[in-house]
Amino acid sequence: MARGRVLALAAILLAAGYAWSQWGSEKAAVERRLQAFASDVNAGTSDGRGLEARAELLGSFFTEDVVIDLGRGASEIRGRATVMDMASRLQPRTSAFRLRLTDIGVTLAPGDQTATVVLTAEFLRRGGGDDSIDAREFSLDMIKDAGEWRISRATAVDAFR
Amino acid sequence: MRVLVLIAISIVTFKWVLLPVRTDGISMEPTYASGRLNLVNRLAYFSSTPARGDVVAIRLAGLHVLYIKRVIGLPGERLAIVDGEVRVDGRPLLEPYVKHRRPWNLPEVQLGPAEYFVVGDNRGMNAADHTFGRVDAVRIVGRVVF
Repeated sequence: MARGRVLALAAILLAAGYAWSQWGSEKAAVERRLQAFASDVNAGTSDGRGLEARAELLGSFFTEDVVIDLGRGASEIRGRATVMDMASRLQPRTSAFRLRLTDIGVTLAPGDQTATVVLTAEFLRRGGGDDSIDAREFSLDMIKDAGEWRISRATAVDAFR
Repeated sequence: MRVLVLIAISIVTFKWVLLPVRTDGISMEPTYASGRLNLVNRLAYFSSTPARGDVVAIRLAGLHVLYIKRVIGLPGERLAIVDGEVRVDGRPLLEPYVKHRRPWNLPEVQLGPAEYFVVGDNRGMNAADHTFGRVDAVRIVGRVVF
């Protein structure tokens, strides 16, 4: 019985140690940053914050020279200012959908200052009593800038060609 | 102990062997209705490759979102859709599972050595609203068993 308890305790300590090491890793920091972005996209605008302030907040997730390529013939979106401008104009419509980021795979470059990420962005639309999901895969380049991970390039990946 | 073994077997089965997925959308109707629960056999192509007519699950970045589609074109084949009729290497493809058909058109495409052409059974919808096309073999995660 005593040996069983020791083994159980050792397993718990190992699991806790592993969880702690993962929480503190840069990979986890990148993932937390992306989840924070999704959370801020989904946040409503009725909390007293202005549209511009929220657009600025969303802009902080991108580098100054960010390039967003949505594919399918859409023009590239270039620069944080453009992203913020679009975010401020799209804000009133965002309550109709929720963004969820799943299957986030992070690969850090040596030095842990840049990372490439693949993920699935799910757009859950609500309305008419029937929810619908649209999903797209994205490939991201991220840079650690002033202690924060920011997206420098986002490219939509077409699974179907 | 038995409960732990049962839990372990369930986790292995439903994560690595039979993946449960819920259909969302109408692109596979009438074969698979929206909201239905299906199972994907992840070992189906362990020792074989997808065959024409197989209903397969296709992944995006991971397994959280899967597309359910039917394989109609195999690696190396030429495929076109003319007024709703699928033609493989110039010959019409018999598709008894298609109940409604609109006059879709797709210029002929040449599939690569590791590419499959997949499409939903619901051809009664607009082609522009339907996700279909060539996919890489590595994106096919298994065959839908029911």
